[in-house]
Amino acid sequence: MEMDGPLDFESEDPLLSSPVTLKKRKKIIGLDDLLTDHYKDKCKLVEKESKQAKKKKNYDSDDDDFGKEAVVSQVVDECQNKMNQLGGEEDTSIWGLNVFGEQRPPPALQSQELESCHFLQTFLNNEVNSLLNLTVEKGDAFLEGLLVNGWLSTLVSLTGRAEKSLAVWTFNLMLYSSREDLRTSACDFWRDVMLTTNEVEQQHLQIDWFPNYAQLGEALESYGYRFECSLNPGFVHTGSGRGEPPQNIRAWIKFITICCQTKIKNNIFTSSEVEQLAEAIICLFLDRQFQGITMLLCECLQSLINYFTDEEWKACCENIAKSLVCRIPMDLNCLRAVECISGVDPRSKYLRSTIAYQILLLCFENEATNEEEVLRVLTSITVKDKSCDLFKLYIYLVLTENWLVGSRMLEGKPLICEMWGLFLRNCSCQIASTDLRSYASKVRNKASYILQSSFDE
Amino acid sequence: MENPSSGIRGAIEENTLAILDASEATKHTRDADDDRIAFLEAVRAASLLPENKSPPTFKMCEAIFKILRFGKSLELISTSYQLLNELDRRFPRVYVTNANGSSMSHELVVLQEAWTPFVLGTDISDSERATNDLTGGLLDPLGFHLLLQGLAEVSDVENFQALDTKVLSNMLLFHYLVSVLEGDFVPRNQMYKETLNWILVRESLLNMILCSRKMNFKGLMKDCLTTLCGLGHFLAEYDNAVRFSETSLVKQPEAIDTALAIAFLHFGRIACDAMLKLMVMVMELDSSKKDADMQGHTTRADGVRTPLAEIIQDELTYDKNILSPFLQVFKDSKWKLEIIVQFFWKYISKPSVRTRRSNGPAEDATFSRVLKCISNSSSTKSITKKIGAHAIHLLLAHGFQAFLLLSAKQTVEGLPDSKEQVAGGSIVETCKNLISVFNCLKTLDKQLEISSCAKEAIFVAATIMSKKL
Repeated sequence: MEMDGPLDFESEDPLLSSPVTLKKRKKIIGLDDLLTDHYKDKCKLVEKESKQAKKKKNYDSDDDDFGKEAVVSQVVDECQNKMNQLGGEEDTSIWGLNVFGEQRPPPALQSQELESCHFLQTFLNNEVNSLLNLTVEKGDAFLEGLLVNGWLSTLVSLTGRAEKSLAVWTFNLMLYSSREDLRTSACDFWRDVMLTTNEVEQQHLQIDWFPNYAQLGEALESYGYRFECSLNPGFVHTGSGRGEPPQNIRAWIKFITICCQTKIKNNIFTSSEVEQLAEAIICLFLDRQFQGITMLLCECLQSLINYFTDEEWKACCENIAKSLVCRIPMDLNCLRAVECISGVDPRSKYLRSTIAYQILLLCFENEATNEEEVLRVLTSITVKDKSCDLFKLYIYLVLTENWLVGSRMLEGKPLICEMWGLFLRNCSCQIASTDLRSYASKVRNKASYILQSSFDE
Repeated sequence: MENPSSGIRGAIEENTLAILDASEATKHTRDADDDRIAFLEAVRAASLLPENKSPPTFKMCEAIFKILRFGKSLELISTSYQLLNELDRRFPRVYVTNANGSSMSHELVVLQEAWTPFVLGTDISDSERATNDLTGGLLDPLGFHLLLQGLAEVSDVENFQALDTKVLSNMLLFHYLVSVLEGDFVPRNQMYKETLNWILVRESLLNMILCSRKMNFKGLMKDCLTTLCGLGHFLAEYDNAVRFSETSLVKQPEAIDTALAIAFLHFGRIACDAMLKLMVMVMELDSSKKDADMQGHTTRADGVRTPLAEIIQDELTYDKNILSPFLQVFKDSKWKLEIIVQFFWKYISKPSVRTRRSNGPAEDATFSRVLKCISNSSSTKSITKKIGAHAIHLLLAHGFQAFLLLSAKQTVEGLPDSKEQVAGGSIVETCKNLISVFNCLKTLDKQLEISSCAKEAIFVAATIMSKKL
């Protein structure tokens, strides 16, 4: 939201777009204030009327005390029921999906003979080995020590080469070892090697083997990640080991980030592979098991969306959004899917907006196929209607906000602006504060918050 | 002094805080927590997403910080932590400008009015600390120390079983506080090195906290050391095969357990990094202070305290058990090498009478000189007696590693500045000397079992030499 500029849906107002003095502008905003006041008054009036109507009803229908008592107790019971209902409903309205299923055994590792490791071989014939008495059999354990104590990356950067056997070995440890020290050291090793800032080194560093998308995808699948199937809500996992990824997932996330940031090797992934990875990362955001490491996920998603070239970005962004929205349920999860994206830079703003729009399109599948139609459906919702699903309305409201605000989507589209404003006013003014339906207050507060922050500008 | 945008900011403050007001501050119900999340999202939307970003107000910052400190759910603490970090990155309190684009005219900009999570100068009584109402959850130097001590308990395996979100939020809180100190100290210290204006560093948050009357500096530093070693060791030993939830007394749903476990390992590492960062900053502060002392810029008000590097050396001397865990987790190569070299230097019989102040650390000591000094049979013998064979192996191996990393870094950063010459000597020569020291040790004691970390160092040295670098 812009803070200083004119109201979003006012930007087309000829009075505003022409240069005006500050004084005049203030006057115009004053008019807007009058308008809101007017609406507020209207709302109050409606509330008052409804209250009075209720009161009248009570007085008219009952004369004796017993009758009154009965009505009161009936009302209390109703309230109680409603409250219980509300409580029950809200328990189901918590974000969280089962993104992971059962773990699978790790794929058959393409085990490279570590003994063939060149510098291990060379050392065995070195006279200095008389101090160490190193043998081929002890080689594995010795290399583990080198890795955990951080020698390996130093050695690689000083000798200028990472052999295939070492690369494969460390990659497998990172993704499949159950030992925390091995997997984090292996991940640090790859980070040190791939993110070296030394330009001279970068040119001379030779890495004989690189993992590809297939191997990384395979790893994620073995953790239990469900590719390409719709995800079901869930935040309590029953049974042991079901739906719980191994701790290696942190290293996996970090490694994806590194692959996108490295300058040592270009085009590790194709753009469609990055699309799938970005989709997977957004899905991880939706699993409550990862709420503690949202920083890692954010960084990873950011690196992924920066990986695209400017030319391919918009199309790829749409692909991510389209394939993601088919997989997630249209409840609080879809809001989480939008709001987990940082939105600070232009690209992530655009991704936010695109995903929100695609979800809306899916919600109104049979009614709307373009921007105008979506808004037409939204403005045609009669919020006063008892049958109106306010929970859905809340979701539409937040999605529309993310779609339109902050993404330059409103620029040069006066009609869209106007309809957005109308939708907001419907939500904020036509729902009475006495409305007991669940989400009534959330919709009203949200809408008036958006309106208010726009008017403050 | 109202700034022109305060009207808008005031309105945003009112609107966002209204989201929180709906729920009582002390409640931890689902509704209240939902409101807190909505508040964080609203602050984020108002301060970070617009094109012309403006920082949140004092009250808003305080409210976010309170959520981090007292939040009970993982979602709350990690969201608030992330928001605070994003805000600090976007709106730094102290930064160096490059006024005319030319490299000569740096200027330090300090936003005096910016919000910080620390209270300095005013005393917080114990009762206030308990209720946290008057302080708004802010920390004074003593509060900071208590937080750090709390982290030390985490690394105690017994306590780990009762893992709850309080432990996790303390780890994030500590990391955030250290990054606040860093954001304040680093640009100040950088400017000090250019201008030699000691006041810049004296007024840094870090220095003011360490100088606080209520702060027991030595105690704090010792706690840093034990916590760093304990936590680092614990994390390194953690193995999936042994699941802590099985022994947990509190029965919790499985998913929460995985969420906590994933978060714990990540936060633990973050807290470790922060601890290391804090110690390195203190050592940088010590060295700037010493420098200012020599220049005569300090006053009596600056006080006297033992430099951290010396405290660490003493601790390592008295307690050989922490030598190995310390060298494992202390990953800053510059200060690691400095500590190791000075450690050796204490035990090396100096050939000539030194004219400098003999109680201070030796300025001319380098790792190469240490290696040379101990590579003849008589000196090797005497130093083994004094330090012990196992400790020597550890110190040499880690010293060598720090040397390699530092020399690699120096070649990247171009000309080494005279103070950074701790590395000293060429790589190949040092490799050769390292091997000859071990040969010496071996000839002294034919039965000598070389420890695994020393073996790794020798292996690396030999491999580098065979590549003839």
